[in-house]
Amino acid sequence: MNPLCLMENVKKTFRIGEDLSVEVLKGIDLKVDEGEFIAIMGTSGSGKSTLMNLIGCLDVPTSGRYLLAGREVLGLLDDDLSELRNTHIGFVFQSFYLLPYATVLENVLLPTLYREKTAGHVERRAAEILKLVGLEKRMNFRPNRLSGGEQQRVALCRALMNDPEIILADEPTGQLDSKTASEIMNLLSDLNKKGKTVIVVTHDATIASYAGRVIHIKDGIIIDE
Amino acid sequence: MERIILNLKIALGALGNHRLRTVLAVLGVFFGTLSLVIVGNLSDSLSLKTEQEVDSLGKNLVIVFSGQLRRHGPRFPLATRATNLTLDDATAILYAFPHAKEVSPSGMKAFPVRYQNTVLKAVAVNGVAPNFAEVRNFEIASGSPITEDDEKNQRKVAVLGPTTAEKLFGDENPVGKTILIRRVPVQVIGVTVAKGSDISGADQDNQIFVPLKTFLRNFTNKEYVNSIYVQAAGDSVIPSLQKEIVALLRIRHKIRDGMKDDFTVVDLKDVNTLKSDAMGMITILGRTAAAASFLIGALGILSIMILIVNERRMEIGIRRAVGSRKKDIILQFLLESSFISVTGGLIGILIGMMASLVIARVLSYPATISVPGLITAFGASALSGVIAGIYPSFKAIQVNPVDIIRS
Ligand SMILES: Nc1ncnc2c1ncn2[C@@H]1O[C@H](COP(=O)(O)OP(=O)(O)OP(=O)(O)O)[C@@H](O)[C@H]1O
Ligand SMILES: [Mg+2]
Repeated sequence: MNPLCLMENVKKTFRIGEDLSVEVLKGIDLKVDEGEFIAIMGTSGSGKSTLMNLIGCLDVPTSGRYLLAGREVLGLLDDDLSELRNTHIGFVFQSFYLLPYATVLENVLLPTLYREKTAGHVERRAAEILKLVGLEKRMNFRPNRLSGGEQQRVALCRALMNDPEIILADEPTGQLDSKTASEIMNLLSDLNKKGKTVIVVTHDATIASYAGRVIHIKDGIIIDE
Repeated sequence: MERIILNLKIALGALGNHRLRTVLAVLGVFFGTLSLVIVGNLSDSLSLKTEQEVDSLGKNLVIVFSGQLRRHGPRFPLATRATNLTLDDATAILYAFPHAKEVSPSGMKAFPVRYQNTVLKAVAVNGVAPNFAEVRNFEIASGSPITEDDEKNQRKVAVLGPTTAEKLFGDENPVGKTILIRRVPVQVIGVTVAKGSDISGADQDNQIFVPLKTFLRNFTNKEYVNSIYVQAAGDSVIPSLQKEIVALLRIRHKIRDGMKDDFTVVDLKDVNTLKSDAMGMITILGRTAAAASFLIGALGILSIMILIVNERRMEIGIRRAVGSRKKDIILQFLLESSFISVTGGLIGILIGMMASLVIARVLSYPATISVPGLITAFGASALSGVIAGIYPSFKAIQVNPVDIIRS
């Protein structure tokens, strides 16, 4: 079976200013199979978020090769990257990034706005997902009336809405206390057991222990697994 | 559709933080459409009104006046007099041009008029052909009109305008009574329906009509008439008929090349040019005001959109992350800005319609709704929103989701 993600010698360089640039990723080789639960660990500034953004097609490698679901990502147009994100990727971030003027339900529906073919009952599906995380009674609330843990669960529902293969969570528990953090991690575990590929960035070994595979990254290189 | 509603709802939420600015922007567009709608409706009302006035004088009329007229000014004072416009000229016009459906020569002179002890010093007495009522759109209110028979037998009969009748007779019924016109006894046979003043402002109800032959033989003792009313076969043939009449009369009056006409041919529509000139000024003023309002509205929308795009960088970033393309973002913000402007536009159209109905009523103009005016106004409001939204939406797509997440 083909891997879901395949990175070969991926480098990422950021230009800062006129003729100054930093190479943040210095040759990443990574293979992710469908159904894996991976934790990425490393010191601050080691390039974890940069790698996540590349995996999630929010950004493109400066060089190397990256195949997502069999498609070569380098050289794709911006619109194609949008489509890849929309259909294959679900993002969860440390800050929840919920739209303040929309209800919980509407926030969860956001990814469906950009899908060409919307499968009929998107609202029913959104309600089902919200029920899964125990927020069915909060559907018509504004995000600012929810606790941090609840907001992160809404963000997780939004990530699941278009039924992507991969959930990318960059320090999803960074703003949560340990009890709420473990709730979120249990949800991610459950999703992984149902077949989703989950990649989590974390500093916390307890969080990493949920994963089946831990990748350590240092100065833009994967140092050991 | 649901996407649009959801996006608008989110936009309204964001606009809610800037109520005053939003209201000001909406007001700009509102005043723009308001003035466009009012100007459009009123200029339509005015042209309908002048058309009605022209028609009340007689349909498709071309008038030949004896002598040169001063073309401008509210009335037609004679610049030069001439005494050679004749009944034969009228007959010649009728026979020469198939587009001349009817001709109605008439003479006019002011005479003292008396009934018992009431004396009117100078009333316009018109010698008219029997077809005058039809050609000049006069109707008989009571009694009977002047007939072929009256004309042929040079009868001393008269039809009075309602104002004249009222002045001479008060409440009495004039029909059958005898009045004195320049000491000649004349029997009143009818009274016309009130028409008000004509397009040049002359009172059409204060005059007396007598058969033309009677007028020429008993009152003026001349062979010439003052005017010939020519009814054209249709609206479109009037300009060519006008030229043909000029050519024919120049030959008949033996006017050599280079010499001035001793008559004037007037198309009643010419008279309207003056009025439409005035309306033109109002239209220009209204359009300028509208353009200024739209500009202010558009600038208001521009500033508010820049503001809320900046405030919503996180929203834009997260939308991009969940898969919106750049054009989705552009479309979203263009929709928002045109939504603001169309709101103002629709209110402007609504109030503009009501206002123009009221104004038309006050000026006693016929009320009309100018559909092209409405479409222009709506289009202008939508367009100003779209244009105002272009720059902010390009600002919006410069938001890089990666930067949003990093901060
Ligand atoms: N767009 C960018 N332009 C310039 N430099 C960047 C950019 N993005 C990341 N960097 C730099 O790349 C390095 C790695 O950043 P990254 O966010 O990937 O680190 P990280 O491992 O996620 O760190 P943290 O644990 O603090 O989140 C940092 O030094 C950062 O300053
Ligand atoms: Mg990071």
